[in-house]
Amino acid sequence: MEVTFKLNGETVTCPVTTKSTLLRLLRDELKLTGTKNGCEHGDCGACSVIVDGKLEKSCIYPARNLDGKEVLTIEGVSNSDGTPSDLQQAFLDAGATQCGYCTPGMIMAGEALLLKNNNPTRQDIREAISENLCRCTGYQQIVDAIQATAKSRLNGGAK
Amino acid sequence: MSENLKYVGNPNSKAADGIEKILGKAKYVGDMTLPGMLYAKLLTSPVPHAKIVELDVKPALAVEGVKAVITADDFVDHGFFGWPVKDMYVLAYQKVRYVGDPIAVVAAESEAAAAAGVAAIKLKLEELPVVSDMHKALDPDAALVPLEPQIGDGNLLVTHLVRNGDPEPILAECDVVVDESYNFQAQEHGYIETEGVFAIPEPGGTVVVFANDQSPHINRDNTAGMLGLPAEAVRVIQPPVGGSFGGKDDHVYQFTGQAAKLALITGRPVRLVLTREESLATSYKRAAAHAHLKIGMSKDGVIRAAKTEYLADSGAYASQTPLSAWRASMHLAGAYRYEAATVDTKAVYTNNGYAGAFRGFGNTQAAAASEVAIDELAARIGMDPIEFRLKNCLRTGDKAFTGNTIDHEAGLTQCLEWVRDQSGWAEKREALGFKTGDDVLKGIGVACYFHGSGLGGEGTDYARITLTVERDHSVTLQSGLTDYGQGSRTVFTLIAAESLGVTPERIVMLRPDTDTALETGPTVASRASIVGGNATKVTAGKLVQKLNMAAADLLGCSLEQINRHGEDFIGPNEEPLAIEAVIDHAFAMGLQMSSQGYWQIPVIHWDFEKGTGTPYYTYSFGAQVAQVEVAKATGKIQVTSVWASHDGGKIIFPKGAHGQLMGGITQGLGYALTEGFSYKDGYPQKKNLKEYHLPTSLDVPEMETHFVETNLAEGPFGAKNLAEPVMIAIAPAIANAVFHATTVRCRDFPISADWLKSQLG
Repeated sequence: MEVTFKLNGETVTCPVTTKSTLLRLLRDELKLTGTKNGCEHGDCGACSVIVDGKLEKSCIYPARNLDGKEVLTIEGVSNSDGTPSDLQQAFLDAGATQCGYCTPGMIMAGEALLLKNNNPTRQDIREAISENLCRCTGYQQIVDAIQATAKSRLNGGAK
Repeated sequence: MSENLKYVGNPNSKAADGIEKILGKAKYVGDMTLPGMLYAKLLTSPVPHAKIVELDVKPALAVEGVKAVITADDFVDHGFFGWPVKDMYVLAYQKVRYVGDPIAVVAAESEAAAAAGVAAIKLKLEELPVVSDMHKALDPDAALVPLEPQIGDGNLLVTHLVRNGDPEPILAECDVVVDESYNFQAQEHGYIETEGVFAIPEPGGTVVVFANDQSPHINRDNTAGMLGLPAEAVRVIQPPVGGSFGGKDDHVYQFTGQAAKLALITGRPVRLVLTREESLATSYKRAAAHAHLKIGMSKDGVIRAAKTEYLADSGAYASQTPLSAWRASMHLAGAYRYEAATVDTKAVYTNNGYAGAFRGFGNTQAAAASEVAIDELAARIGMDPIEFRLKNCLRTGDKAFTGNTIDHEAGLTQCLEWVRDQSGWAEKREALGFKTGDDVLKGIGVACYFHGSGLGGEGTDYARITLTVERDHSVTLQSGLTDYGQGSRTVFTLIAAESLGVTPERIVMLRPDTDTALETGPTVASRASIVGGNATKVTAGKLVQKLNMAAADLLGCSLEQINRHGEDFIGPNEEPLAIEAVIDHAFAMGLQMSSQGYWQIPVIHWDFEKGTGTPYYTYSFGAQVAQVEVAKATGKIQVTSVWASHDGGKIIFPKGAHGQLMGGITQGLGYALTEGFSYKDGYPQKKNLKEYHLPTSLDVPEMETHFVETNLAEGPFGAKNLAEPVMIAIAPAIANAVFHATTVRCRDFPISADWLKSQLG
């Protein structure tokens, strides 16, 4: 079977099987390796992407359900000139990336939160990233980065 | 430090390798693909202990897409390796010793074909009696786990001792003696990226391996040995590594050897990346351990003597347990003054998954045991736990329980005072604490630590660094010391920039690569910043001399007349000379604009036979306070606040250092509460991240972190180590807070909610 969907703003059509997952489609077929594979069972969140505005674990998201959907991955978050988005830059500025393996999924979780809540509390942020495991940072600088971005966007900062 | 530093210690410095990570462009080993690549898959042992009666790989070779299958028989000496104890094979030889022990590897055109190949291998095992309880491993009738006894008889792996006077007569006259046992389950590292290697055969029979290990040079030497090749025929490159915490060495060496062999046999690139389940089953853990501490004091609260024992479960193989058990021994009585203290340590083999290096390296267990025991002593005489620690803890010039003098500046009292003042300790000790009738019990507890710097008595502690000024005016930095998230690439970059007087942006750090970086020992023991930082400084000094020679030549002055203003060189005529012009002139003069530098930690000596000497040349110190809430109905513990202060000397990369501190606390919080990798009759009880709970953002509270910046003259710009010790105080601090909240003393880790509930009636 085939699915046609929007990936980071571009329309793509891909053959998929009933077993294919969005993660495997992104990484193995489309060579977008920014989305990470940490457990392939939906337990760690490293593979998080945004589908139709909602945070999804791509490792358990059936590729056959993608028809007509809009998918945003870490590669689509950066500015069009390839520079980091405000949230990506905030991760670097806050010291929120150490080994970096959870970072793309965390950034997607942050983006998904900010899409629906432009003024989150620290507890809101902690809840929004609670299914994304990070073993390096202890989460606090990640919360700092997402909070700083929310504040800057509220103050009219460019996305 | 009197130096006016620009980059070192600058709170705005950012991770030097962060940009590729936030953009999703960093290529971890599992992200790499090559045309014609093959996928490798492991066959691992389903049982804890068995003789391999039959291992026939021919049926696997008949599976469509399978290109090669290897076993121990395909390697020199069956791929026998290991350090400090040689007892491992690249693949199981003669028998399997734990559930997850790798037996064979299949390389195939696809992951599915590789899995089909694994399923087709004909394996016949004859099960052997299982040793699963470390306390029974030395029983005369216990089955032998290694192929040959390591030392003496049976399953004894190693013994260590500390002999500092005779504690027995002192303990006999002590007014108060705590005599208790503390138990620790194993802990999984929980790096979010699983283990992976990618081997690429080259023309002429050599092989390149990208491996997410910690110590590429050791990996290269092991691999070359297994393959029967000279070291030059194997090149190990470290891509970005998605976390390690001590956890990606020995078994990654196995995978490297396996993938390299498969690549050489098939002539095609071979990638082996573990699934999470394979990683949890196959990888080594923090050793499960048992500590028995007998500590005595006078009734006015002066600690006098300790007699202690430690038993570590090394599991199926030795890996780093002989050394982590030694570090546990060197810290078991804690950061306090004693008139006399002894330690008797044993590590044993069992058929549990094996134990190896993990952040804290034995001091995680040792500090947790001693800090709960110290809390018990304070409670016995009703003294405030922080006051008790301040009364007895190590200060500059004191002798540690191992008998050596703390002759560098010790910041432990400042750390204790900071967490006391910042946490509102006195008021909270009054306001919180056990109250009958409360459904939510609240408490606050403290723990502190010392942690020997670097390898200490484990081995020579050195590093080499190469710095090269390029014709495009950039500076490349090369080291065999690696960064798996802890920030050493940034630390080296900042030190190189500071020492050369150039901006950090000018410095390009190459990937660790055994073909181009100098051999530099392992990246372990939180030693990279100190040894690598100093080697960077030494190397930069040599390059600065060359740059100054070129500048002096251009300006027609002496070397001594050269001053620096930013990147510019200023001579007697005060006209600034741009660094680009100086570099161009240096090349024109024919200077070789590359330097190498070596630095070694001052040599100390520990007598392993006598249990006396100086285990480490210096120590870092710290204290942490945890505030908790315990739900009486469930026994569930929620940590609501943490205050942490660490004496790490000069902090070179503040954002990274605070991140290390908070990340360490989080790993220790998991150790205290939600993790615990246990075995039943040798079978692991947790197989995935649904069952093994790493702390989430909701388990971890907001933390206040702080550094006491004492000065270590030998450290680069005064720096000491910090990556490991920052994780070890939180588990006992939580246990001590739970005691304050509930009057229940927790001596087994992780603290089971069900058990705590049962204690609360």
